[in-house]
Amino acid sequence: MVFNSLSFLIFITVFFPLYFGTRGRMRMGFCLLASYVFYGWWDWRFLALIAFSTVMDWWFGLWISYLDAPDATLKRCDAGSPALRNFGKFTAIVARTGWGRKAVLVSSMCMNLGVLGFFKYFNFFVENITSAFSAAGLTPSWATLNIILPVGISFYTFQSMSYTIDVYRRQIDWEPSLLRFATFIALFPQLVAGPIVRAADLLPQMRSDRPFVWHNLYSGSGRVLWGFFKKVAIADSLAPFVDQVFEAPESFGSLHLLIGVVFYSFQIYCDFSGYSDIAIGLARMMGFGFPENFRTPYFSRSFSEFWTRWHVSLSSWLRDYLYIPLGGNRQGAWATYRNNMLTMLLGGLWHGANWAFVFWGLLHGVFLILQRTVAPVWRRFVHFTRLPGMLNQVIEVAVVYSLTLLAWVYFRSGSIGLAGGDSFSTANRVISGIGSLEGFNMGAVVNKFQVVKGFLLIGILLAIELSNIRYHWNVRQVQRPGFRMAAFAVLLWLIAFFGTFGSNAFIYFQF
Amino acid sequence: MKHLLWFSGFLTLLLAGDRLGGLLLQRQADASLFRYSRLYRGEAGADLLFVGNSRGLTFYQPFIEEKTGLRTFNMSYNGLPADLAGVLVQDYLDRYPAPKKMIVDITLCDRSNDALIAAFLPFAGRSFRLDSLIHSKLPEIWRAGRVSALYRFNGEVFQRVLYHRNKTDSDWLLDRVVAPQLAAEAGGRSYDLEVHPDLVGQLQALVDSASKKGVTVELVISPYFPSFQVKNLDALKVAVEQATGLPVHDYRQALENPAFFGDFMHPNKAGAGAYIDLLLKDRVLPAE
Repeated sequence: MVFNSLSFLIFITVFFPLYFGTRGRMRMGFCLLASYVFYGWWDWRFLALIAFSTVMDWWFGLWISYLDAPDATLKRCDAGSPALRNFGKFTAIVARTGWGRKAVLVSSMCMNLGVLGFFKYFNFFVENITSAFSAAGLTPSWATLNIILPVGISFYTFQSMSYTIDVYRRQIDWEPSLLRFATFIALFPQLVAGPIVRAADLLPQMRSDRPFVWHNLYSGSGRVLWGFFKKVAIADSLAPFVDQVFEAPESFGSLHLLIGVVFYSFQIYCDFSGYSDIAIGLARMMGFGFPENFRTPYFSRSFSEFWTRWHVSLSSWLRDYLYIPLGGNRQGAWATYRNNMLTMLLGGLWHGANWAFVFWGLLHGVFLILQRTVAPVWRRFVHFTRLPGMLNQVIEVAVVYSLTLLAWVYFRSGSIGLAGGDSFSTANRVISGIGSLEGFNMGAVVNKFQVVKGFLLIGILLAIELSNIRYHWNVRQVQRPGFRMAAFAVLLWLIAFFGTFGSNAFIYFQF
Repeated sequence: MKHLLWFSGFLTLLLAGDRLGGLLLQRQADASLFRYSRLYRGEAGADLLFVGNSRGLTFYQPFIEEKTGLRTFNMSYNGLPADLAGVLVQDYLDRYPAPKKMIVDITLCDRSNDALIAAFLPFAGRSFRLDSLIHSKLPEIWRAGRVSALYRFNGEVFQRVLYHRNKTDSDWLLDRVVAPQLAAEAGGRSYDLEVHPDLVGQLQALVDSASKKGVTVELVISPYFPSFQVKNLDALKVAVEQATGLPVHDYRQALENPAFFGDFMHPNKAGAGAYIDLLLKDRVLPAE
């Protein structure tokens, strides 16, 4: 089920009255059931997979907790349901194997990454190993499998893994309620495309019933409307132009290609951040606070800043569970470069089983490393030339955005690769087409109406997002009913006038 | 209670603004110089009527009017399908004296185009046929247009309405030359034209209704880039000739100069001039 569909509208119309009409375990159970219906709408068979991951990670958490404090853990199990008592006894028996905490954590990671690896990367690895053998003159006959990628698997796997790791690190307590833990993993607003909400953030909120609050309803619905505007009006309106550019780059002049790439940067931003806005808004209506996932990333003045403003829940996940354990920036320059690069490469691979995504990660790794070496020189230059602050800011934002555009070309081409096309060939044709400067004039741009509409919508987006930094529109709309009335109406008018309707899936569903 | 009041106020504002906005936009649609605005305003009377998809824009009105001395009206549009063309032609015939000739590029039978039909919502209030077509083919879109007046203007057709608000569209034609690099690849490129019997049937109905009004109908295939392959074009030609009983004037390879094309499918302004000369020579178009 996608947010921008009639079925979802019916779903939430039924969901919210029942959600607030129930209490305690009943509400939690209903929430889990609704989340599974939401997920199963796409393909019910994969509910078994998510249930399996949930039970296993919950149990690994119990096991680690038992190894930390056997008596206290068993006491908590005994205080719970008969099923929980049995789980406690079973864990006590299994713990006699003598496995240490680290071994349990490693098992949990292997299970999670194994499932993810099988569904997402199996064919990719088989194809690449086969190619490597072929290049060496060998002819292995390993068959690939016809595997369907379960939607949202990368998101809920990372969410689930973070719980076990945090329990291992003793940053959070083991969660005694399997029902609550299962609801935490499957909570429908963030299930298929994030934000990746950590157990430490969400589980404590789920331990008490969230009451119905008008403030939350208005604040949340404002955020949902804004997300829909970004997705339906902007992202889906830019999509046809972008698709044409990447389907046949050689058919267009360089300006047309450049506009296509700029449009893609806003398409993916509005598509993904729109989804996050809807998820955050829905959660707020339910009474939960989700972390922010985007903070006007294209106004970043450096790549390290960009990664604190783009897909924050993933980048902070990678920082906390990969970059810092690798040593972060505390072990000298070369180790920092290595850690940056490894983190970005894995971040790229997380997005999809295609080398173009890995290359996208590589480019961002290179940008981060270059930034560390070039930034001191640039700062000295700015100081020496007394470059005005505003000009300095504009230059830095422009450089970061331009290089981000370059990386986006490979990222977009990665989707072509996933569909069986040649991603690098596509990306290189787009880049060489832009670089050739042939047809770098408005006369060579086709579909000018889409271009005008696209830039108009981007202008509206930037105007609202920039003014939001100062005026905090969502806070104002909650405080001032008249302003809220006007703001909601304007957003709905804009959606009606500019929206592209037809339940277009969100880009990040494929990851 | 205050929340209920707020919600009532919000709904009132939402609907009032939507209707008011719709009214203002409808005025623009009615007053524009865009072809369909003129058609439904009663300012499209012509001696020669042209119908086609984007390739039909090759019937470049300024050249034709200059060379024939006759008034022209081109109702072609990018991706115009035969069913929508049939509605537009019948609306034209209802509102105006019969033109002397109607020239139709038969490649508009290529495929259906529901997105374009939806984009004609701004004119649904001016034509019961258009309204019925949208209602029957796209009931959800039709209903959405009833719920939201602004939604009716959510489409490229209305954007063109605004663009041509005070600017004629009679010179609407691709004005560029195909890139040499692309031109060199033409032999290896092809387009799979689809033959839909229902769309051929729509074309037949269009031809019949015009013929009954005494309009001479000429069916043509406008030029394609030399060596560019269009699959199934012969099958379409045969199907149309059998359905309508009229010959199809085939100009697919009539222009050999690559400089006459904006891309593989569309002659540019220079190509349109050369093509129109051929139509005049073959008396498909009446000479002055």
